[in-house]
Amino acid sequence: MEPLTLSKAEILAVLPAGALFITGLIQLMSDLGDPNKTSRQEKTHLAMIGATGALVALASLFVQGTAASTGELYAGAMTDDLFGRLGAGVIIVTSLFCTLMAGGYLSSSGNNRAEFHALVSFSAGAMVLLCQSTNLVSMFVAIETLSLAVYVLAGFFRQQKAASEGAFKYFVMGAFSSGFLLLGMAIIYGLSGASLSFSDIAAAGASDDALFAVGALLVLIGFAFKVGVVPFHSWVPDVYQGAPTLAVGWMAVAVKASSFFALCRFLYHTGGGAYMDQILIALSIVTMILGNLAALNQQSLKRMLAYSGIAHSGYLMIPLIVALSGDDILIGASLPFYLCAYAGTTLAAFGVLTALSKATDKDQLGDLNGLAKSRPLLALGFTVALISLAGIPLTAGFIGKLMIFSDAIGAGFVQLAVIGILTSLVSVYYYLRPIVAMWFRDPRSSFDLIPAPWGVQFTVGACGIATIVFGIFPDWLIELSRISVETILG
Amino acid sequence: MIPELESFKMPILSLVTLTPALGALLLTLIDRNNKALIRQIALMVSFLGLLFSLIMVGNFDATVGTMQMEENLPWIESLGISYHLGVDGFSVLLILLTSFSMPFVFLSTWKAVDSRVKEFHIALLLLQTGMIGAFVALDLILFYLFYEAMLVPMYLIIGIWGGKDRVYAALKFFIYTMVGSLFMFLAILYLYNHAGTFDLPLLLERLRTTNPLDGTQQFWLFLAFALSFAIKVPLFPLHTWLPDAHVQAPTAGSVVLAGVLLKMGTYGLLRFAIPLFPEAAMDLREEFCWLAVTGIIFGACMALVQTDIKKLIAYSSVSHLGFVVLACFMNDVESLTGAILQMVNHGLSTGMLFLMIGIIYERRHTRELADYGGLAGVVPVYSVFFIIAVLSSIGLPGLNGFVGEFLILFGAFRADAVWGILAASGVVLGALYMLKMTKMFLFGPLVHDANRNVQDLQTREILYLSPFVIMMVWLGLYPSTFTKLVQPTLSLYVQMLQN
Repeated sequence: MEPLTLSKAEILAVLPAGALFITGLIQLMSDLGDPNKTSRQEKTHLAMIGATGALVALASLFVQGTAASTGELYAGAMTDDLFGRLGAGVIIVTSLFCTLMAGGYLSSSGNNRAEFHALVSFSAGAMVLLCQSTNLVSMFVAIETLSLAVYVLAGFFRQQKAASEGAFKYFVMGAFSSGFLLLGMAIIYGLSGASLSFSDIAAAGASDDALFAVGALLVLIGFAFKVGVVPFHSWVPDVYQGAPTLAVGWMAVAVKASSFFALCRFLYHTGGGAYMDQILIALSIVTMILGNLAALNQQSLKRMLAYSGIAHSGYLMIPLIVALSGDDILIGASLPFYLCAYAGTTLAAFGVLTALSKATDKDQLGDLNGLAKSRPLLALGFTVALISLAGIPLTAGFIGKLMIFSDAIGAGFVQLAVIGILTSLVSVYYYLRPIVAMWFRDPRSSFDLIPAPWGVQFTVGACGIATIVFGIFPDWLIELSRISVETILG
Repeated sequence: MIPELESFKMPILSLVTLTPALGALLLTLIDRNNKALIRQIALMVSFLGLLFSLIMVGNFDATVGTMQMEENLPWIESLGISYHLGVDGFSVLLILLTSFSMPFVFLSTWKAVDSRVKEFHIALLLLQTGMIGAFVALDLILFYLFYEAMLVPMYLIIGIWGGKDRVYAALKFFIYTMVGSLFMFLAILYLYNHAGTFDLPLLLERLRTTNPLDGTQQFWLFLAFALSFAIKVPLFPLHTWLPDAHVQAPTAGSVVLAGVLLKMGTYGLLRFAIPLFPEAAMDLREEFCWLAVTGIIFGACMALVQTDIKKLIAYSSVSHLGFVVLACFMNDVESLTGAILQMVNHGLSTGMLFLMIGIIYERRHTRELADYGGLAGVVPVYSVFFIIAVLSSIGLPGLNGFVGEFLILFGAFRADAVWGILAASGVVLGALYMLKMTKMFLFGPLVHDANRNVQDLQTREILYLSPFVIMMVWLGLYPSTFTKLVQPTLSLYVQMLQN
C-alpha cells in the first residue's frame, strides 16, 4: 500500500466541511458536563465563527481553483467543481441563517444546549461532502452522517411527545430508505466490475445492463425518501409537525438541497439506466399533484409547508428528466437555480414560523391573524416568500418556474409543463391563505405581539430581499447555475 | 404635434410607467400617521404621471401606424428577456385614459379611505404602474410581469378595504385571473421554445416567415391567450367574478377595475392573441362573436333585475365589453376604431358612475336602489352629473358613448345581420336598465326620511367629476381628435391580418 499523500487541491477541497466538523466538535466539548457552562451568546458566536470559516474556505476554493473540475480527488471519492461549490454555498449560508435564528429560539423554549449547534454543524459538514462526492461510498457515508445528525435534531425537544414520535418515525423511515440505497449501490457495484466512482461506472458501460436499472431505481428510492417524493413522502408532514420549527427549516432547505445536488450528479454521470426517465416522469407528476392537493386543506402551517415542500420536489425532478432525455445536460441548468430560490424563500417562511412558535408551538393558520398590523416587516417578508413559492413574477421563484417549464417544453415534455402549471394554480390558493390571515384578518387579541428577535428579522429580511433581487436581476445566478452544471461532467 | 418636443430624447414611456412606482417607493418613507401628506404626494405623483402621458401624446406621430418611442434594453439576457416598450394606436388612448383617471381616483378617496392610508396609496400607485406597463410592454414576459403586477395590488385593495364579503371576492378575483394568466404563461413559454424570442415584433415577424405554427399549435396557443383575456374582459360565461369584485371593492377599486383593468382583456386580444395566431382567431371567430353577443344581452338582462346599484353597473360592464369583443373580431378599421373608442368611453362613463355611487355611499351607507328615490330635489347638482354619466353610458348622440357603439353596430351588421340585430337590442336594453335605475334612484317620491338631508356635491367632488364630463362631451362632439391617433395603426393591422 502506497503512503497517503495529499495534494493541495485535496486539502483545500475538504476545508469547508472540515471547518464545520471541527466547530461541531468544539461545541460539544465546550458544553461538556454542564449545559450552562457557556452562555447562549457564546454558543451562537462559536457556531457563527465556524460557519463563517467554512464560507472563507469555500471562497478560497474559488480563488485557488478553476471553475472547471479539478479532476478526481481522494482516488475518485470526491471532486471540487463549481457544482459542488454552489451546493456547499447554499448549505453553509443556510446554516449561518439557522444559527442566527437559533439563539433566541432555543433559550425561549428552555433548551439551551450546545448540541443543537453541534448537530447543525455536523450535518452541514456532511451535506457539503455530499454535494462534492463522486463515488458510491463517499455519497453513502455523507448521507448517513447527515441523516443521523438530523434524526437527533428532529427529536431535540425530547420532553415533547410529538417531537419524539416524529423523530422516531423519521429514524425508522430513514433507516429503511438507507437500506434501499445500499442495496442499489451493491447491485451497481457488482455490475460495474468493482468500481465505485460514478465516472468509472459510466465508463464500464454498466448502465446499459437491465439489472443496472434496478440498482439505479433503488438508489433513486433512497433519495426519494430523503427529499419527500410521493409515494415515499408519508413521514414528511408528521416529522415536520413534531420537530422543532428551526430544525424543520434546516431539514426542508439543506437536506433537500444537498440530496438533489447529489442525485443530480449521480444521474448525470450514470444516465440512470433504462426506464429512469419514465420513472422520474411518473414520480414527478404524482408528486406535483398529490403534494399540492394535500397542502390545500392544512390548518397547520408546518404541515402546509411540508406538503408544499413535497410539491416542489416534484417540480425539481423536471430538470432531471429534461437533462436525461437529451444529449445536452445544459438544459438541466434550472435545477441549481430553482434550489437556490427555494432555499431563500423556505428559510424566510420558516423564519417567521420560528418567531411564531417560540413560546408555545403555535403553527395554526389562525395564529397569523393580523400579523401585518403587529409585525408589518415580518409579514411582508413572509408574503414575499409565499408569492415566490407560488411563482408570481418579480420573485426568484417565478424565474425558477419559468426556467423549469420552459426547459420542459423545449425538450418536448409539454404534458409536464401543463401539469406543473395546473398544480401551481392549486398552490396559489393555499399560499394565499396565510396572506389573507396576515393582512385581511384582525388579530385574535390586541396584545398578541409575537416576539421577533433580530436574528429572525434579519433572516426574513435578507431572504426576502434576495428573493426580490434575484427575481429582477437573476442573470448572474442563472449563469452560475449553467456553468456549474457544465462542470459536473468535467 | 408640439414642435419643441420633437427632439425630446427622454425615455418618456419609462417615465409614464415607472413614475407611480417611484412615488410608491417615496411613500414608504413617509410617516403613516401623516395621512394628509401621503394623500397629497400620491395626488402629485399621479398628476406627474398625467403630465408625462400628455407629453407622450404630444410626441405621438399620428401619421404612422408603427411602434413609436420604443425603448429596447436587454434585461435578463440569459433568458432572452428584454425591457422593450413602445406605443402605437392601440395603446396610446388607453395609457391616456389610465393616467387621466388616476388623479381623480386619488381625489375621490380622500374621505372614503381612512384606515391604512399609506398602504392604500402604495397599492394604487403600484396598480397604476402595472396597468400602464401592460399597455406599453412589447416583450411577452415583461407584459406578463405587469399583467400579474396588477393582480396583487388589486387583490389587496379588494381584500383589505373592501365590503363585508371582501375576502371571498378578493380570492375569487385572484384565482379566476390566475387561471387565465397561467395558461397564457405556458403559451408564452411554448412560443419562446418555438421561435426563440419573447420580443413581440420579432415574434410576429418570425411566425409569419421562418417559424410558422401549424393549425393545432395555433388553435391551442390562441385558446390559452384568449382564455386569459376573456376572463379579464370578462366574456360571458367567465364573468362571474366581476359582480362580486365590484360590489365588494372600495370605490377607488371599482373605478380602476371598470375604468382600466377590464380593458386589459380586450387590449390583449387585439395586441397579442389575434395578431399572433390570426388563422386560429379566424377559425374561432364565430364562437367568440356568439359569446360576445350572448354577453351583451345576458349582461343587460341581469342588469335589469339588480337591486344593488354597484352590481347593476357591474353587469352593464359585461354587456358593454361584449360590444368591444364583438368588434375585436371584425377585421375592419371602422369596427376596430369603435372598439377602441368604446373601451375609452366605457372607462369614462362607468368610472364616473362608480365615483358617483361612492359619493352617495359615503353619505347614506347603502347601495340598495330601494333605499333611494326622489333625490333629484335634494341634491340637484349631483343629479345633473349622474344623469350625464347615465346618458353617456346609454350612448346618447353628442356624448361619447354614441360614437363607439355606432361604429361597432355598423361593423356587426355588415358581418352578419343577426349579430347586428342582437347587439342593437343590447343597446335598447341598456337604455332600459339605465333609465329604470335613474328613475328609482333620483326621481319619484321621497320615501325615506334619511334621504332628506343628504348633502349635495362639494367643491372637491365637482372638481374631480368635471374632467370626466368634459372628456365625455369632447369625445362625443369631436371624436376625430382621438380617432386620428389610432387609425394609421388600425389600417396597418387590418392589412397585416388580410395577408
